Amino acid sequence: MSETYASRTRVDVDLSESLGTIADGAIIGLGGTLTAGRPMALLRQLLRQRPKDLTLVSPVASIDVDLAVATGCVRRVITSYVGAEAVAGIGPIFRAAVERGEVEVVDRDEAHCILGLRAAGQGLPFLPWLGGVGTDLPKTQPEMVEFSDPITGRTLLAIPAINLDVALIHAEVADAFGNVQFAGTGHTDMQLASAARKVVVECDHLVSNDEIRRNPNLTYFWRDTTVVRTPFGTHPFASAAINVDEVALRDFVSRARKAMKGDTGELDAYVNDSVYGAMSHEAYLEVVGLTNIVGLLT
Amino acid sequence: MTSSVSPAEMQAIVLARDFRSDDLVFQVGANLSTARAACVMANLTTHPDSRLLLGVEVENLNGGRSVPPVPPFLFHALGFKGGEASMHQSRVFDDMSRPDVFFVGGIEVDRVGNVNLTGVPGEGDTWKVRGPGPVALATMSTFCRGYYILMGRHDSRTFVEKVSHITALGDRKRRTELGFPGGGPRLLLSPLGVFDFDDAGSMRVRSLNDGVTLEDLRGATGFELVVPDEVPTTPAPTDAELDLLRNVVDVDGVLNEVASRPAGASNDGTTAKVSAK
Repeated sequence: MSETYASRTRVDVDLSESLGTIADGAIIGLGGTLTAGRPMALLRQLLRQRPKDLTLVSPVASIDVDLAVATGCVRRVITSYVGAEAVAGIGPIFRAAVERGEVEVVDRDEAHCILGLRAAGQGLPFLPWLGGVGTDLPKTQPEMVEFSDPITGRTLLAIPAINLDVALIHAEVADAFGNVQFAGTGHTDMQLASAARKVVVECDHLVSNDEIRRNPNLTYFWRDTTVVRTPFGTHPFASAAINVDEVALRDFVSRARKAMKGDTGELDAYVNDSVYGAMSHEAYLEVVGLTNIVGLLT
Repeated sequence: MTSSVSPAEMQAIVLARDFRSDDLVFQVGANLSTARAACVMANLTTHPDSRLLLGVEVENLNGGRSVPPVPPFLFHALGFKGGEASMHQSRVFDDMSRPDVFFVGGIEVDRVGNVNLTGVPGEGDTWKVRGPGPVALATMSTFCRGYYILMGRHDSRTFVEKVSHITALGDRKRRTELGFPGGGPRLLLSPLGVFDFDDAGSMRVRSLNDGVTLEDLRGATGFELVVPDEVPTTPAPTDAELDLLRNVVDVDGVLNEVASRPAGASNDGTTAKVSAK
């Protein structure tokens, strides 16, 4: 008899309510790798809330970091890479901000990022690793410490835990109770989520719990998860639903490079139209245009 | 064959020739289309038992498989489709005995093969020049059996006596002291030539690319290279190599159009053409 059971609380909310209050100085994880799987609808929502002094964490980032830096809310970035491969070897806004000393970059090798997140998930202060020993990374990043392994005596590197306040990730499929399924490998999103106190998932498809049960072996879940339905939410980056919008990335990079030479008009216009002016994900998709989206479908 | 060979095509062919017969697992990072092409060439010819880790796709292309085109971006949620396995980025560092071959780009390289991709430090905690970041260089260069250093530029600002920040430790002496499992850098390829490292770990000229003189090379290098008595010209591609590269591996001509460059190097690089024999 259904009335004998308590009802389960849904965790799917509107994008505008998904993040709650983001404290100044919050440490935010951004899912995806390079130009794939980036939770852009959530990032744009975050930027609309005008946070301050954020630390962004992404094992292998793209120029989503540039967009965030352009809005002035980023104090620190923990990553192994910021760029868009051949479109921009280095994110131009990120690069300029780092060289001007406005943004601090915490350099971690890709494996260091994953180990740091794992350490956080495991409640450890650090995990040991060999890669990076003998490099200058422990010199410019003194919180990574070389130490003598108590068992063999060899030199190892202590990779500090990366504890997150919030992890933002994109998944192809989720249900209203925080069950999450990736169409692909999920990149390092599961490590990000396990390192975070709160997980917010944007999804292309919000499906029923019965639908999730067709492939329970694909499901990930975390203790405190919020779900938002944002079809094509990775745009201009790729998901299982869409390919990378290379034209849009090149356009953004062109605006960014002009801005770094002092001509900020085009970049300001982009931020105003695509972030601040688009008050919902649907409004953002209107700015991108149906023709463009259809052209990107996988 | 009278057609011009781009530096990127030349680089792919030189790499494909150098792989060792027992290399089994090739891992290719972002923005390294020449390395990707070289691995595909080897897989289709000399290394039929190898596995290629290309973004999220794990490939072996033998048995009449269609060759995937060189994509503009390495990662895609569905990038493993068509492959025989998917590369789980969250687990790839759990089996560090696996990778044999890796490729490394840099904004600086020094006499003993140390590579900098992080940046040029300034005063205090600042960066005078910010590079793309370490990506997976520190870890992969420590563990893989051997790696190739791919430099998009060769001048005295990129080939320096000592790199301003060591991202990948190439120095053979230090690697031995620290007990690294990996074999270190095998070759360095630049637009001017091909280099290896002598028994003391110092960078040595193996061959000069067509049209390049030793004077050109010395003028463009900020340290004293080891120069053998005889320095050959890098052997031109054979018809078979070019046919495989252009008609099977890189049918879209990505390498013919784009000058080879490491992640983070200038994207405005011109595509200097050298003539094939």
